[in-house]
Amino acid sequence: MTFELFIFYLFAAVLVFAALRVVTVRNPVHAVLFLVLAFFSSAALWLLLEAEFLALVLVLVYVGAVMVLFLFVVMMLDINVAVLREGFTRYLPVGLLVGLAIVAEMGLVLVRYFVLPPGSAPKPVGPDFSNTRMLGDLLYTHYVYPFEIAAAILLVAIVAAIALTLRRRPGTKHQDPAAQIAVRRRDRVRLVRMDAEKKPE
Amino acid sequence: MTFEMPDFWLALPEMFVLGMACFILVLDLFLPEERRGISYFLAQITVIGAFVSSLWVAPAGVQTTFDGMFVSDPLGTFLKLAIYVLTAGVFLYSRGYLRDRALYKGEYYVLGLFGMLGMMVIVSASSLLTIYLGLELFSLSLYAMVAFDRDSLRASEAAMKYFVLSALASGTLLYGLSLLYGLTGSLEMSQVAQFAGGHAGEHYAFVFALAFVLVGVAFKFGASPFHMWIPDVYHGAPTSVTLYLGAAPKVAAFAMAMRLLVDTLGPLQASWGPMLVVLAVLSLAVGNVVAIAQTNIKRMLAYSTISHMGFLLLGLLAGTRTGYSAALFYAVVYALMSLAAFGVVILLSRAGFEAERLGDFKGLNERSPWFAFMMLVAMFSMAGVPPTAGFYAKLAVLAAVIDVHQTWLAVVAVFFSLIGAFYYLRVVKLMYFDAPADPEPLTARLDLRVALSANGLLLLGLGIYPGLLMGWCLAALH
Amino acid sequence: MENIYLAIVLGPLAGAVVAGLLGRWIGRGGAHWVTILGVATSFALSLVVLWHLVVEGAPAFDGSVYTWMTAGGIHFEIGFLIDRLSALMIAVVTFVSLAVHIYTIGYMREDPGYIRFFSYIALFTFAMLMLVMSNNFLQLFFGWEGVGLVSYLLIGFWYERESATFAALKAFLVNRVGDFAFVLGIALVVMYFNTLNYEPVFRVAPLMAELSIQVVPGMDWSVVTLICLLLFVGAMAKSAQIPLHVWLPDSMEGPTPISALIHAATMVTAGIFMVARLSPLFEYSPTALNVILVLGGATAFFMGLVGIVQHDIKRVIAYSTISQLGYMAAALGASAYAAAIFHLMTHAFFKALLFLGAGSVIIAMHHDQDMRHMGGLRKYMPITYITFLVGSLALCGIPPFAGFFSKDSIIEAVHASQLPGAQFAYYCVLGGVLVTALYTFRMFFLVFHGKERMDEHTRSHLRESPAVVTVPLVMLAIPSALVGWYTIRPILFGGYFGNSIAVLPAHNVLAEVGRDFHGPAVMAEHSVHTPALWLALGGIFLMWVVYWLRPALAGILRRTFLPIYYILEHKYWFDDLNEKVIAAGGRLMGRLLWRIGDVRLIDGLMVNGSAWLVGRWAAISRRMQTGYLYHYAFTMLIGLLLFLSWFVVR
Repeated sequence: MTFELFIFYLFAAVLVFAALRVVTVRNPVHAVLFLVLAFFSSAALWLLLEAEFLALVLVLVYVGAVMVLFLFVVMMLDINVAVLREGFTRYLPVGLLVGLAIVAEMGLVLVRYFVLPPGSAPKPVGPDFSNTRMLGDLLYTHYVYPFEIAAAILLVAIVAAIALTLRRRPGTKHQDPAAQIAVRRRDRVRLVRMDAEKKPE
Repeated sequence: MTFEMPDFWLALPEMFVLGMACFILVLDLFLPEERRGISYFLAQITVIGAFVSSLWVAPAGVQTTFDGMFVSDPLGTFLKLAIYVLTAGVFLYSRGYLRDRALYKGEYYVLGLFGMLGMMVIVSASSLLTIYLGLELFSLSLYAMVAFDRDSLRASEAAMKYFVLSALASGTLLYGLSLLYGLTGSLEMSQVAQFAGGHAGEHYAFVFALAFVLVGVAFKFGASPFHMWIPDVYHGAPTSVTLYLGAAPKVAAFAMAMRLLVDTLGPLQASWGPMLVVLAVLSLAVGNVVAIAQTNIKRMLAYSTISHMGFLLLGLLAGTRTGYSAALFYAVVYALMSLAAFGVVILLSRAGFEAERLGDFKGLNERSPWFAFMMLVAMFSMAGVPPTAGFYAKLAVLAAVIDVHQTWLAVVAVFFSLIGAFYYLRVVKLMYFDAPADPEPLTARLDLRVALSANGLLLLGLGIYPGLLMGWCLAALH
Repeated sequence: MENIYLAIVLGPLAGAVVAGLLGRWIGRGGAHWVTILGVATSFALSLVVLWHLVVEGAPAFDGSVYTWMTAGGIHFEIGFLIDRLSALMIAVVTFVSLAVHIYTIGYMREDPGYIRFFSYIALFTFAMLMLVMSNNFLQLFFGWEGVGLVSYLLIGFWYERESATFAALKAFLVNRVGDFAFVLGIALVVMYFNTLNYEPVFRVAPLMAELSIQVVPGMDWSVVTLICLLLFVGAMAKSAQIPLHVWLPDSMEGPTPISALIHAATMVTAGIFMVARLSPLFEYSPTALNVILVLGGATAFFMGLVGIVQHDIKRVIAYSTISQLGYMAAALGASAYAAAIFHLMTHAFFKALLFLGAGSVIIAMHHDQDMRHMGGLRKYMPITYITFLVGSLALCGIPPFAGFFSKDSIIEAVHASQLPGAQFAYYCVLGGVLVTALYTFRMFFLVFHGKERMDEHTRSHLRESPAVVTVPLVMLAIPSALVGWYTIRPILFGGYFGNSIAVLPAHNVLAEVGRDFHGPAVMAEHSVHTPALWLALGGIFLMWVVYWLRPALAGILRRTFLPIYYILEHKYWFDDLNEKVIAAGGRLMGRLLWRIGDVRLIDGLMVNGSAWLVGRWAAISRRMQTGYLYHYAFTMLIGLLLFLSWFVVR
């Protein structure tokens, strides 16, 4: 076993363990942290595949941004996982059964019949090779169409998120300086003529 | 690395829709509430423009661009045109409904246009990657639209269910697609097809991938047992969105099935044929039978969708050109029928009142004979009563199934449509033979009335002269 | 010639269509003119055709005009087979039809359904011509049903009368029984011969003679016999043979011209014609011929007997018609097809004459048909009297009137036949002669002689009928008297029919009879030595005594033969059998099927039961839609699992 292979198995084991823990730990904060661990391990695996850019982006975007956001949300909402897990044990056997059956069948078929097409293994490249540049080249030429669609998807996600959450609550008290400045006298003061004393009927 | 400049011209409709959607999105921000109509008109103009440009750029034969990720062929053009017409109809029908309910916002049209764009991408996808992205674009828009009525708990619940289940289905689909990529080393449909046809050795692995892909496709159709989202989402979403869901996406689902099953995995027809049989029979059974027990018309129509998708799958599983064209015909006709039926539901609704219960249709004939007749046409068409378009659609599908010697399937289908006829006719009975609970005559905007009438008459017309549309369907599949 | 054939058929059709659809605009006069014109054209053209075939000796025409459709290699065509047989029939049909058309102008003058009536009889003529001229079974069946339909319409012409609608329904239902067998016979022809056209069937028939079919497992039946018997059951209904004769007496509810045209001269002879037409087929089934012979003989004798006790003048003639049809059937059974057709022709003339004469009497009697109210009409209606006498003598077979030659030939032919049933049939037809004389002259003396039994009012209005009535009587009286004398030699013994009728040498009774034939005069002279003439004369004499000289004798006779009278009065209980057993049984079965089959099984179990089942099913399966997201997701996963396992297990 070469050292590289050893590293691979190490990180792979950590990845599987962390992923399992994500769904099994009781504390949601711990779950998020295990997810972070899983991301780290997969980033390491990508590094082994010489996909440095993707590995770094994974750490930066997912660990640095997404997971931190998750942590905030989880901590703020203070979800009671125990309630969510009610009935978990009741459905566990049948769930496990189905899950295992799918895994078994997948294993059975894929191990026996899944063959990579010949010549599909990537060739090692030199140290001066920049896969960031390579990705960029591909993304903006060969994959420009999917790239643009992906952009549209993100745009839709933003639009959807804003449309669904941005709301002006009626009755909130806030100041509008522009309105305050633009106010005129007659908006605020009304002169009413009144007789000094009440006339006899 | 050589790079060939792609032929952007072929993608003109997509680019136009994307540009217009962004433009409306920004413009809408600056429109005051009472000028919202501008967004609506711009959206309609976008759809019309897409229609015109699709016709304009349509090549005579099959052309691919973007390194084989985008294909423009007669089938694609026809499907896109159908999608435009249906989307325009949905926008038109839902306008008054949205306005009555404080849902009249630019985002509805923007999301609708993005959803349409997603469908267009699916329709002209020739790569596994693009079809998946198109699907995501389209689904994401739909999630947001289902949840559009933010204050409705039911809508939020529906959106949540739709989102989670759809994500599950997408994941399954993506897994299947990745297996295909792993097996063939290519994302291009034609190459995958070539590979799948030539490598009997990996047959099992291909079939395995196929099963995953099929789950994704079946989910989009709403075929049983992947139908569970349909009733809840149809019921929970605002009727204007249900309208959207029920119309063009069926055509898109057909496109997805054609691209993935026929164009990509066509060599495995012997494998997916029987799987579709299971889906079709289950859908027919579940859809038709459970619909009987419904009291809410939207839920009832949701189950009817399931059964209709079962019928549509029958046409696909025949695996012949006539079968595909019959399925295509069915998809288009079904979308039109669904449009008409939900259109009447919208017509009956007023501000603060949703005509959702079957009882709300009581005595419609007394309130508005003409629209009762339109609903009658829609119901007859769904039940497959001649001379409506639905009859011919069913007939074509059954003929295709019998052609491939699966007569028992045709018998099963007829049997279940017989059961299904009950709940369609129940609506007719309510409209014509029961006294109205609310004797007020109907009031509706002129454009809705004209469009709905045209829609109903189209169903009749296509039933009497089905040859025109059928001819297009056959030509599209040449 | 093809255009002439077409014109013959289409003339009456055009008349019927114009009168039927445009009747309101063209009026009464227009209606009778247009239909008479159509039928007259047909008659004139049929004479041309007859001339062409007989005098000029043209070959027979057999060709199709129009192919309706082709299915499974079988052509459904409209076509004509015009040979001497059909040409003769066309001439007879159009002639009688024309006479009846003219007569109707007078008879139906007062009737509100005048135009409808003309449309119907013209339509009838069309259908009958289609039947007669056909060269295939399909068109034969079309004509067969067409005449049946018009017959139904015309029997029920006065549909306000309950008895008329009952009679129409009866005729229709009885004919259905026959038609059912008839169409089965045609189906068998198609099954074994794989064609509908006559010519190929006739060509192949000799080869088929030995073929057998097992309808009931274990029993071999000859195919040809089965076909012939089925076809003949159809003929039995149409031509009123025992036991399917019951509708014909009731059909007298229709207007008298109809009784003359349809129920005496033409339609009822369709069965006779059909058997003669298909003689190349029937010849190969001695069994079928024997059945026809026996049934024909029985009908001739026993139905004639019933005629003796009837009081309604038209019913007497109706039973007489049944009896005479029995003669024709007996001739067919004896393979004397030519004699049958010959009798058909003479009978058409004198029976139409008798009916129209009876109609003339009925007009004078203000539509009272009961003979007990008549008597002594001779001095009021001389023309009717004379013509009626001619018809009666012809019917009884007194030489030299037409009926003598045809009937005597039939008796001789039956006598010569070698079939097992010939002996029985011979005594029947011979006895029939006496019976014929009895009922005919009973009617004759009751109507025209003896005491005037009508009431004062009727008596004061008695007078001879108008010319439109008497001219057809004279028109028909002439052939009734003469046609036998002049045509017996060519038709029976001169090989008139040539190839159009096929007789196997073994059955050729007419050739045997023909050896003793030395011209009509000799035949008439020779008849003095035969029992038939003496039987007829004896019958006439007896009636003269009973109904003219000693009217009191009638009552005595009736009391003496009371049991027989009782049987005849009830017409052998055929009607009771039909109404109380068959019809009642049918109704009972219908009720049972309705109660148990329809209400319980179909409505209860299948319709409501399946609806209930579906409802239950729906109620149960809707519970699967729980609303829980994880249930939904789980369902999807199970679906996926199923797909995966399916292929792994396979």
